[in-house]
Amino acid sequence: MLQLRDVRVVIDGHEIIRIDELDLAPGSRLGLVGESGSGKTMTAKAIAGLLPDESKVSGSVIFEGQDLLTLNDREMSKVRGKRIGFVFQDPARSLNPMMRIGKQVSEAIRIHSDLKGDAVTAKVIDLLHQVQLPEPETLLRRYPHQLSGGQQQRVMIAAAIAADPDLLIADEPTTALDVTVQEEILRLLISLSEERKMSLMFVSHDLGVIRFVCDRVAVIYGGNIVESGRIEDVVAHPMHRYTAALLAANPGMPKDDNFSAFIGKRLQTITGSVPAVGKFPSGCRFRNRCLSATDACSTMPSPITTGNDHRYLCWNPGDRGQS
Amino acid sequence: MTSLVEVTNMYFHYPRARIIAGEAAWTLEDISLSIQPKSTVGIVGESGSGKSTLVRVMCGLLRHQQGNVKFNGKDLSEFEGDGANDLRRENQIVFQNPRRSLDPRMTIRRSLSEPIRALHNRQPGDDEIIATIERVGLGREVLSRFPHQLSGGQLQRVGIARSLSVQPTILYADEPVSALDVSVQAQVLNLLMDLRDQLGLTLVMVSHDLGVVSRMCEEIVVMRHGRIAEAGRTDSVLARPDSNYTASLLKAARAASLERA
Repeated sequence: MLQLRDVRVVIDGHEIIRIDELDLAPGSRLGLVGESGSGKTMTAKAIAGLLPDESKVSGSVIFEGQDLLTLNDREMSKVRGKRIGFVFQDPARSLNPMMRIGKQVSEAIRIHSDLKGDAVTAKVIDLLHQVQLPEPETLLRRYPHQLSGGQQQRVMIAAAIAADPDLLIADEPTTALDVTVQEEILRLLISLSEERKMSLMFVSHDLGVIRFVCDRVAVIYGGNIVESGRIEDVVAHPMHRYTAALLAANPGMPKDDNFSAFIGKRLQTITGSVPAVGKFPSGCRFRNRCLSATDACSTMPSPITTGNDHRYLCWNPGDRGQS
Repeated sequence: MTSLVEVTNMYFHYPRARIIAGEAAWTLEDISLSIQPKSTVGIVGESGSGKSTLVRVMCGLLRHQQGNVKFNGKDLSEFEGDGANDLRRENQIVFQNPRRSLDPRMTIRRSLSEPIRALHNRQPGDDEIIATIERVGLGREVLSRFPHQLSGGQLQRVGIARSLSVQPTILYADEPVSALDVSVQAQVLNLLMDLRDQLGLTLVMVSHDLGVVSRMCEEIVVMRHGRIAEAGRTDSVLARPDSNYTASLLKAARAASLERA
């Protein structure tokens, strides 16, 4: 349903994104994982047509048979919000603080449908029910500050699914939330995607969260998809060194509840930090931080695909490294 | 061994909060706990459970209304006047968002000298400032920079360097890594563990991340609705939680975490 082919995004002469292939099947849930500055949010923005004006985009983003990159602003605004919904990290910043909840959700309905009057209110109440908010009838008269962070994020999700999109892009939707609330919101996203056969693109820096939600994952670094595959395959057998490093840096929870062996254990770190735009090395973008880099890494490796469509770009693929 | 911090039957409410919400509205209720020298304690709980407030009461930034809080065997009220600086020096906090806790108009050098000027009443020498910044794994070249020129991870290192510049006994870290990426988180957590070991610090970590706490802290305090739901050794509390609340936190944490050997 969504296919990215040879997508290049160039801003100020710097290639920010270079994705030769990325697919999202209908009804499936894809995680997009990487550090800040790796290009994950830019990829989501490229799909949404929300890149800054000065960016030059080439290649194709095929969504349900239509190349989104060929659409003009008016055509794109009919896709955005209607066929592709969005949920962002900080619900408090995405909601209008001066507008009642009901109005914010109904706006999404009015823009994308012909419903009027009571029909709109009925639909708002139905949507608030679907995102499992208690007492929707009273809630729609509230303002955002009267809701908790988790409730605000549910409202954002209600607005995002108002026009029955086929794809929902969620960018770090639970990063600002408590762990119990995070679990509830993640379960909500999973059940909405299953009930509505809605595909989900879930952007996060945390592979633990992605494993819970998604069936597939794409690991992004320096604007390249360095590895993709079924989440269980990638977590159990990371092939790209960057994936292995991201996994090893994740604090996680101790296996078999062995808390006493866990205490005081240092985490594996990734050497250096994500370079600034335009400062990535040629060839494999990760090679200046990679402990296994060889001379071969100065040229970009060709993708290798193994069973279950597990795909990676690495000259020295391997398992978890030292961890 | 005497406790470094001893809290007994402590109650706290914010000014006016009880007038608005009525007599029963305490932010912290009946808190008793003790922190041993050189131990590492994790305080966990959800937003609004009172964990950050508790830290601020323990280090004397907020004054409790009932019960006792002692530091090194001395009641906090004895640190009035001239003693207030001693208490500040011994108790340092690292905050969640380093971008908000550093003055954007000050160079890193100046930010690092401020606590020494304020609490030791002297201008630190260049060697001292360089040693302070190098201890947290940053180079001296960052000293002339401003906060907006540094990354989140670098800024959090500056925040840690700043707290350690006055040689505290106890370091409170309030969600020190929740604004950071997984990979940068790992570096900052390792740094905190290394510094704790090198300097013999007592470390109190406030966190909503049970993975982080179970890795760093021998002791855990689980807060809920302003009360302590459960406290004890981290491995026994988390392996066999007494409180249903701790069990529910654990379940949620496990669901969205990787299993690590």
